[in-house]
Amino acid sequence: MKGYHDIAGDGGSRVLEQVAEQRSRITDGLAGVRHLVAVGSGKGGVGKSTLTLHLAGALRARGLRIAILDADFNGPSQARMAGVQGGLFVPGSRKVALPRTRNGIGVFSMGSLVPESESLEFESAAQGESHTWRATREFALLGEILESVEWGALDVLMFDLPPGAERTVQYADFLGSRTSFLLVTIPSDVSRGVVARSVAALSKGPNRILGYVENMSGYFCRDCNAIKPLFVAPDSSGQAHPSTSPGTSRPPALAIPCLGTVPFDPELARLCDTGTFLSELPESAVSRALEHVAQQLLDTLESTTSASAPVSNELRRDKPASAHASRELPPGREIPR
Amino acid sequence: MKFLCVPCDSPMKLQTVGPPDRGSLSVVYSCPECGYEMAMLTNPYETQVVQSLGVRIGPDVPSTEGMGEAGRLRAEGASAGSNCPFAAMTPAPDTRALTDQDRESPPVRWTSAAEARLANIPSFVRPMARTGIERFARERGTLEVDETILDAAKEFFGM
Repeated sequence: MKGYHDIAGDGGSRVLEQVAEQRSRITDGLAGVRHLVAVGSGKGGVGKSTLTLHLAGALRARGLRIAILDADFNGPSQARMAGVQGGLFVPGSRKVALPRTRNGIGVFSMGSLVPESESLEFESAAQGESHTWRATREFALLGEILESVEWGALDVLMFDLPPGAERTVQYADFLGSRTSFLLVTIPSDVSRGVVARSVAALSKGPNRILGYVENMSGYFCRDCNAIKPLFVAPDSSGQAHPSTSPGTSRPPALAIPCLGTVPFDPELARLCDTGTFLSELPESAVSRALEHVAQQLLDTLESTTSASAPVSNELRRDKPASAHASRELPPGREIPR
Repeated sequence: MKFLCVPCDSPMKLQTVGPPDRGSLSVVYSCPECGYEMAMLTNPYETQVVQSLGVRIGPDVPSTEGMGEAGRLRAEGASAGSNCPFAAMTPAPDTRALTDQDRESPPVRWTSAAEARLANIPSFVRPMARTGIERFARERGTLEVDETILDAAKEFFGM
């Protein structure tokens, strides 16, 4: 009797072929994008979306063509933060054009489509059992977005990922090996422990991990113009946290490059709530830190880019949009171990 | 999933797909050798898993290569009048984006070319796009959306 692999096709449904064709259309649609960068963590609440937006702003200020795909469908925040809640998706000749921010960053966020008073819902034949299919449906939605948007010629497409170490790996699997990962942590053992798990999981696959950013690395006091501690630092031996309970070990060091540290700034949080870009404010310690991370990110991306990159060379003729753009910045602080 | 006619040792071919009934699909296969027919009746979980993949189930689903986005979306049931078995499960267009001013204003006509472009975009974006573009057209003193208006809207809002 014949087995599954003895039979060509599936009798007419072409399910596998349809999935493969969708992947092919996604690949074609992203052909003009030079760098795919997923900003993830594993840990929630560490500032992935904030860093994604403001790093995009810093890269845009260098004249690069940048877009953001807010892949956190259930908790989209980029629409508000980027000021495109009222953004309009306009049909192009074959695909849909991305809404853009005031400074020219393309943003796809479900927050432009679903009011904040509502949750994202999918029609389902199996209501009440969403754990059996919801993740699959969300990735199908991601695929539909990727293949139906006019991405055009971009230097960097940034994916703002949802929290969850397992989700980070699922996005790596779905987006493919072209996508590099930038991980975000905060100076807490809990966060570093979760991010270390994400690093371990991603390291098993083909995706490049560009490095990590330590967000909320101190508190920037605008009154004092100084950065003060926000989290309790480990003791001088680095072996045990002063408040660590017996039997609790420190998380493993993140064995990936640190691209910089960014202090917490209430003003930055306010900007995110109002859809304002950092470049619209005077320079500060936080803007310098973000500029440094953006430059590190760019240098890291460029360090392995092949010589055949006409897209970016063409686009870099754009005029920088910010006076902060080309300043030399001090290196980021080392994270205390 | 594949089906084999054991007496003939021959792969069965998909014949028809019944419309969704309380989350279940009736998919009929037949053996090309002996003509024996059998039906696969899915439970709601199975139906939902396949739906979640974003694929179409039906006899002789054509390749979407070269069809263009509009053709592909129609083939996948995103457009009205589709024979996609999942079409009945997709959400109906909503009117949440409509303001009172939109409702009270005279209707805006769409040219066939503009409608065709609207059909190119994902169904979940379409209602919001239609409403916003009609508002954009009114603000420019016209009650017709054509490709010129779409291009102007794209220039104004898009990247």
